[in-house]
Amino acid sequence: MFKVFAFLKRNTTLLTHDEYRAGHVGYHCGQSRRLRNIRGYLVNVWSNTPFAQRIGTELHQQITRNEPQNFLDWWDGFPEVYFDSQEAWVHATDVEPTRATADGLINDPDWSLADGPFLFDPVPDRPGEFKPCHLLMHEHILVPVEREEVKSFKLMQFFKNKPNVSNDQVLADYAAAAAQLPGLNGCILNFRDPDQAAAMQGFYGDDTWGLSNEGIDHRSRFCDMWDGAIEYHFTQVNDFISARRFLHDELSRLESRFFDSLWYVEVDENLVVMPNRNPAPNYYFR
Amino acid sequence: MLKVFGFVKRHPRLTHDEYRTGHVGYHNSFGRRLNNIRGYLLNVASNRPISDSLGAEAVKKLTTNEPADFDDGWDGWGQLMFDTMEDYVSAKTPAIDRAGPNGLETDTMVARVGDDFDQLYAGSPFQFHVDEHIAMPVRRPERKLFKLAQFVKRPASLEPELFRAYVTGRYATLAATMPGLRGMIVNVRTNLDVMSKFFAQDSEGFTPEGIARRETFYSGWDALIEYWFDGPEQFSSARNSRDFEQLPELESAFFSAVFYREVDETVAVLPKRNTPPPFYHR
Repeated sequence: MFKVFAFLKRNTTLLTHDEYRAGHVGYHCGQSRRLRNIRGYLVNVWSNTPFAQRIGTELHQQITRNEPQNFLDWWDGFPEVYFDSQEAWVHATDVEPTRATADGLINDPDWSLADGPFLFDPVPDRPGEFKPCHLLMHEHILVPVEREEVKSFKLMQFFKNKPNVSNDQVLADYAAAAAQLPGLNGCILNFRDPDQAAAMQGFYGDDTWGLSNEGIDHRSRFCDMWDGAIEYHFTQVNDFISARRFLHDELSRLESRFFDSLWYVEVDENLVVMPNRNPAPNYYFR
Repeated sequence: MLKVFGFVKRHPRLTHDEYRTGHVGYHNSFGRRLNNIRGYLLNVASNRPISDSLGAEAVKKLTTNEPADFDDGWDGWGQLMFDTMEDYVSAKTPAIDRAGPNGLETDTMVARVGDDFDQLYAGSPFQFHVDEHIAMPVRRPERKLFKLAQFVKRPASLEPELFRAYVTGRYATLAATMPGLRGMIVNVRTNLDVMSKFFAQDSEGFTPEGIARRETFYSGWDALIEYWFDGPEQFSSARNSRDFEQLPELESAFFSAVFYREVDETVAVLPKRNTPPPFYHR
């Protein structure tokens, strides 16, 4: 599938982190869940509790390597969106009739993503624009995700490879080991596409901030910090702690071999459209 | 949790597929923002008849006393989950969940759930509370599942309390062991009033005609059992297996009617059965 991580920082002048959650998961997703042909849509917001506090400082120090300073200053949340193809993605904002009226089904005249600059980090000299950082990701499903009817524990593990380590090596050795963590409800490894503009071009206009020199530089500095991210789904934080302790020696050995840096962010996952990896049905479905 | 079902019939100007687009698209986009909602599913009647899903012979064998014209009464049903009755009746209030030039602002359209009821539905939803029994907790994979709704009716000779005890007892315990089952929930319709404080008093549902329409629909069944499988063959195979040959015997004893429908499930808000976090979450 064509999978995009869209890292977004809130409008800090107008919103707290929790207000941003409400605006993004509430109104904004009410609009964007109707993107044409969307096949899956999750919104991950960084947790209010620091991860070190959740798992204990000692374990946190043991499993973290060279975490970039102020990584969470770059974003408050990141949606994961799934489409069947790049073509579907770039046409996602083509409005389609989804609203029942006295004239039957029509294009919703109130459909709008104009809340963007109030919700996300606005561009000072470009009214109506915010700073998107949409990145194409290539996923490898290590353990298929199954969601229980509870708010579960989701952990993002960001990593940067050592200069002589390839993604193939990470996939073959590290991912295989990480997928053995007991208690996983799902595990997906995502490598960032080397083309940092792959999810921007076509979706945003060539004259927008995201494709300007400033936008390119912003994305480049963010991408310099990491090459990929693994999504771990557990029922509770303690399931991760015990699983990690179970495989700690093996994973630590591999991590010191493969990664220059590696760190974790707990996220609160909001499911907006359940990812459907089956072929799309021939009717409107979310 | 407080679990409420709302069966709806599409507006006659819409086809079934237009209805599903309007419900899944525009309407759910507001419904998922209802204040303090903890779960929200929409089940739309499948375009595939149940006889095509399970096989005509199997359906004939599994069905008893299906009400005539049952499908004339509905095109889909929503499932709303809240922590309390107070949360449910206050859900349709303006939501503070829209970023604007002054920060987070109030959106009054949430209170009206998009204000499309009269254009999407033919009359009021048949809205009722269910007493649920989780026979097998649901685990949803990242693909569209085969969801089966089994409608069952209590025999007049069986007290409601015993009906609930029996259907959630031996019957559900055995059925929940079907191979490939990804979840099974028994929902027994109750008489708790979840209409009066949720819909305007001039709604069609409170007119004599509306009440009669709803009562006719209710007369065909008393409980709805949700089953989730990867595909219909898993259910068919289990029901043909000797391991489950006791199910028809139990159905004969406990149900005066049994019939099935396939539905397409939209997870508008993944049900969360644990304690809510102290922030906006869906």
